[in-house]
Amino acid sequence: MRLVCLVFTIWVTIVFFNPLPLFSQDTDNGLTDLNLDFKIEELEKKPYSINADIETTETIRFLDQDALLFKQKYLNKKNEDVTWQTDLDLIVEAQYQQGSIKLYGRFNGLFYYNDDESFESQRKAEEAYVSFQPSFSLAIDAGKKVHKWGKGYAFSPSAFFARPKDLDDPDATLEGYYSVSADYIKSMEGIVRTVAVTPIFMPVTRDLNHEIGSKDELIWGGKVYVLAYDTDVDLMFSISDNLTNRVGFDFSKNLTPSFEVHGDAAWVKDYRQYIIDAAGNVSEQEDTVFNLLLGIRYLSSQDTTYIFEYYRNGQGYTDWEYEQYLTLIENGFDQYINTSSQTLISKSKTYAAHYNQQAAMKNYLYLKISQKDPFDILYFVPAITFIYNMDDKSASITPQLTYTPVTNFTIDLKTGFLLGESKTEYGEKINTAKVVLSMRYYF
Amino acid sequence: MRKIIVIVLLGLFYSTLVFALDGNEILKKVDRNLNPESFEMYRKLINIEPDGTKKEFVMFSVKKGKEKIASVFLSPASEKGRGTLRIGENMWLYIPNVGKPIRITSLQSVTGGVFNNSDIMRVDYNSEYNCEKIETTDKGYTLYLRAKLKNVAYETLTMFIDSKRFLPYKIEAYAASGMLIKNLYFKEVKDFGDGIIRPSIIETDSPLYKGYKSYIVFANVKKRELASEIFSLNYMDKIEGLR
Repeated sequence: MRLVCLVFTIWVTIVFFNPLPLFSQDTDNGLTDLNLDFKIEELEKKPYSINADIETTETIRFLDQDALLFKQKYLNKKNEDVTWQTDLDLIVEAQYQQGSIKLYGRFNGLFYYNDDESFESQRKAEEAYVSFQPSFSLAIDAGKKVHKWGKGYAFSPSAFFARPKDLDDPDATLEGYYSVSADYIKSMEGIVRTVAVTPIFMPVTRDLNHEIGSKDELIWGGKVYVLAYDTDVDLMFSISDNLTNRVGFDFSKNLTPSFEVHGDAAWVKDYRQYIIDAAGNVSEQEDTVFNLLLGIRYLSSQDTTYIFEYYRNGQGYTDWEYEQYLTLIENGFDQYINTSSQTLISKSKTYAAHYNQQAAMKNYLYLKISQKDPFDILYFVPAITFIYNMDDKSASITPQLTYTPVTNFTIDLKTGFLLGESKTEYGEKINTAKVVLSMRYYF
Repeated sequence: MRKIIVIVLLGLFYSTLVFALDGNEILKKVDRNLNPESFEMYRKLINIEPDGTKKEFVMFSVKKGKEKIASVFLSPASEKGRGTLRIGENMWLYIPNVGKPIRITSLQSVTGGVFNNSDIMRVDYNSEYNCEKIETTDKGYTLYLRAKLKNVAYETLTMFIDSKRFLPYKIEAYAASGMLIKNLYFKEVKDFGDGIIRPSIIETDSPLYKGYKSYIVFANVKKRELASEIFSLNYMDKIEGLR
């Protein structure tokens, strides 16, 4: 089956994406074929546009059968050391604009095969909204839309109305929530160049945004953006009857042409956290917590970009709390082996969504180093990403190669290695390493 | 004797001042001839590698005043919808997938190749540079320009101007160390209508990118009144709607 998956990935790439003819079209040996004529279709505006990209991905995971999260998921019922997954992902983006009204939608269809689930498919509208722009200063949006607030690259503690980013791919598209929002912009001369106000209303019902909460309510909030002293500053808040109220701010500024600093801060009022101990007893804590992100982005004279961030996750678990959770899994596995009872393992699974999520603990460092066009290879970007859990000293290291050999076709090879002692976050993940090869074609 | 020295020094100072003023006035004139205060345009960017492989981008841009410019990529499909914004020294990039603007710098390049963000999001030269020295040549003038601010891509520029139309035909861009970073050649002067007569092609090469060439081809350069609110982060995902 593994061979079939790999062959399928390569076959889809070659047959459907067919990059070689494109490559030859893009090559000439002189400047005589330069198309400097500008009578091209891009100049003709159409009221509608449709774009799409299709991506095929092969993921190989090297499993750690001794890891506690492996035991939690599979108990002793899986013997393979390696799993393969093949994904075929189609994203279609469409928009239609007539006067001051714009309709926009981005739809994602995913078809995948892996050893656990066999063939599966998912489809969803990541965004689907209508935008009304009566003037350059005002826009009103209604529908499913992503509201990515905050300046953090890997972490976004002040993104109050968005789903969390994927730490493995912070630039990936997210699915939005249903909301009604507006943007009012005022530009001026002087120290303050721009002020923008963004109110937002997000209903939670059985049919809309039900992932956020179980009770019907209206969550509302807003953001005020100011560009002053060449610095971006946002102040934001969210109010909810049944969930947490939040207030925060972010900033971003270029100190030099190659050095940027940014930060996010957020206070979460009456945040309720459930903590489970090694025996499966659950306690509840409620407190106002503080989340902080401080980061820099530096571009060296050799075109190397460094993104470095410190993240303080006030909603995360302490080293001791996380170790208790892992010990519960360990106890649960022993209980299962000795008695066939899954009582403790089931208890641990009840809280897995909190403990097993990315960046579940308190303090993290993130560093991404990417080099543009090394060895005179244009459109080639090698990169390496480090994520370090400061609490339990475990880490993730992800080297990556991205290459765009021809227009609209990108190849990405990513490998991930997890490092950590026993009973640490990255030391107890299901896999110790993974290799991800993806090829994407835009059309 | 002391009086003579004072008079000579004053004379030198005055003549330098006159030259500087003249140089800056010429620079302003060049800026206005290159583009109106407020306008829209289409540009095709072409990067050519030493083996002849080329990559093309098409952008729609709007500019207002001396230091505000916003653009959106129309093609290729992989770049479509990417927006850039510049307000003075501040530059941002909006990538639809990422869904929020991020700050970028003048030294980076959103397209790769020899052109950097400063070339693609060019604001008026006189808003970034002072003329330190002017020389007359057979074709017109040579202006020696130094950056007014710290956040610019090139510390000094040498601008060669054709005095017939007061348009540049070549610019040499230098780093603070004095190293030549790139040459920009302004070619194919074209009448875009409404009094806009300017080079329609900018070619560039660089000793740092031996064998590589990049071109910007201009089209549909048109005067247009634009609201200041267009040049804001919140408007970056809507720039294409201005077409």
